[in-house]
Amino acid sequence: MDYILTTTELTKTYGKYNAANEVSIHVVRGGIYGLIGRNGAGKTTLMKMIGGLSHPSSGSFEIRGRNGETTEQMMPKVGILIEAPGLYPNMTAIQNLKTKAIALGIHDDKFLYGLLEEVGLSNTGKKKAKQFSLGMKQRLGIAMALVNKPELLILDEPINGLDPQGIAEMRDILHHLCNDKGITILISSHILDELSKVATQYGIIHEGKLLEEETKEELFSKCSERLELKTNDISRTLAVLNSMGFSKLEVKDDAISIYERLNEGGAITVALAKENIQTNEIAVKSEALEDYYFQLTGGKDNA
Amino acid sequence: MLNLIKMNLYRMTHAVSTWVLAIVAVLYGLMQFGIMKIIMDDPFNIMEGMSEAMGLSEATAASVFTSIIRSSDFLIIAAIFIVLFSNAEQKCGFDKNIIGITKNKWKHTLARWISAVIGMTGLVVLAGGVALGASALFLNAFTAGSATMFLKSLGLSYVGLLAFSAVFFFFTTLFRSAAGGIVPSLIISLGILYLIENLMDLLVKKLISNPAVLPTDFFLDSQVMNFDFSSGTKACVILCVLCAGYIVAALGGSMLLQQKRDVK
Repeated sequence: MDYILTTTELTKTYGKYNAANEVSIHVVRGGIYGLIGRNGAGKTTLMKMIGGLSHPSSGSFEIRGRNGETTEQMMPKVGILIEAPGLYPNMTAIQNLKTKAIALGIHDDKFLYGLLEEVGLSNTGKKKAKQFSLGMKQRLGIAMALVNKPELLILDEPINGLDPQGIAEMRDILHHLCNDKGITILISSHILDELSKVATQYGIIHEGKLLEEETKEELFSKCSERLELKTNDISRTLAVLNSMGFSKLEVKDDAISIYERLNEGGAITVALAKENIQTNEIAVKSEALEDYYFQLTGGKDNA
Repeated sequence: MLNLIKMNLYRMTHAVSTWVLAIVAVLYGLMQFGIMKIIMDDPFNIMEGMSEAMGLSEATAASVFTSIIRSSDFLIIAAIFIVLFSNAEQKCGFDKNIIGITKNKWKHTLARWISAVIGMTGLVVLAGGVALGASALFLNAFTAGSATMFLKSLGLSYVGLLAFSAVFFFFTTLFRSAAGGIVPSLIISLGILYLIENLMDLLVKKLISNPAVLPTDFFLDSQVMNFDFSSGTKACVILCVLCAGYIVAALGGSMLLQQKRDVK
């Protein structure tokens, strides 16, 4: 797997409190990695460490395979939008971009205006950042993060507080940056539904610890409808299911999950009986993404 | 580094506070000229003895310019400028955009201070220039005076101002807020610290008869504000060394804080 970012037991401690506790994530190049967690779970802390804004208490991280001192050489390839966008309120959108561009030695106004166009702010003219809506500020924050032409974009809760239209616009921007520009995105949110529409990889973080790290397919397979079958002989059951033409199967512990032809439970039971295989349990099961998250993090009381 | 300084100067020219303080500096220069005119010309003979008391026995280029730079009023203007400018980046969170992606975070601090000093120098030129220009044009008693004295007094006052700027900058970096920076800076500018230093001197004199050194010998405000420009080379060198010490300590501390601390 081609990882652009990996963290190894990254930890941040404030006194006795572990804001991030031995977090190891693996971000695949060219994808969108969604970091899911409730407020205070440690998402921002983790992102700040990766973004060079905070010193890890222990652990390390690699960007494009470079770690330790050499990681710092890769930092110019990282774009950051952590918490609220850092903008000068009395400056216009282009002036804010220019300020960062000057610091990086970039003197290409055409490129900066292009960034504004990409995030849909090309017509803001002389309007000052303090007069922008929250959605506009967030989009300008993304444009700011793009000034250094990053390969990895770190976005902390960019859809927080946006109205439905703002969320949809943000989604389009993220898809454009990932699909058309090949930028890998690490995005955090506590809005599971929205994250599920953009992310290709997921890390579920709770109380500073990474509980699960899964691909979109793995996560959705856990959350989609399936036939769950328990018998007294798993290997022979699999042979029967194969002979019946079932291919979307997954064996976990003592159960087989079947993700197709969910209405053929009766036929499966009969076929198993013919082979003298005892069916202990067969039922259609499903789990919403939210339920799955609650199950992992210890229930709704924790949310 | 040069790019960071350019960035800071760009944002400085786009900050409202810069222009407001520039206007204040011009008005202060005019006000100082007005006071000098009243004292020096004294058309109604009511200011007799005042000029000597205020150290304005003569109206030369050196005395006019240094009366501006060394005044506690101008120090307050400089303190407000330094604190507002050096805190602005953190206040709006702009520092998050650039600090993470650069290797040596201390460079940001150094670049910010250098830029602040450039801005402060602009305020000195504005206030001093206005007072000097108005004095040359409208003050009857004005004379150009000695060029050497002008350069000496101007240079030493400026070195003192640099040291003050580094101290104000350090407090702002340390407390990460305008309020945290401005309070200790005003305590110094308004002369409150000077009073405490003198009390310390009295205490030392009570404890030790004929002490070789006094606390005020090591305090920046006591040494800069009370320095006699007609002093010899040795005194000038001591003042410069003291100022350089303050600059190195304050800037070093600020850079270390930036390098070691997390960005909020």
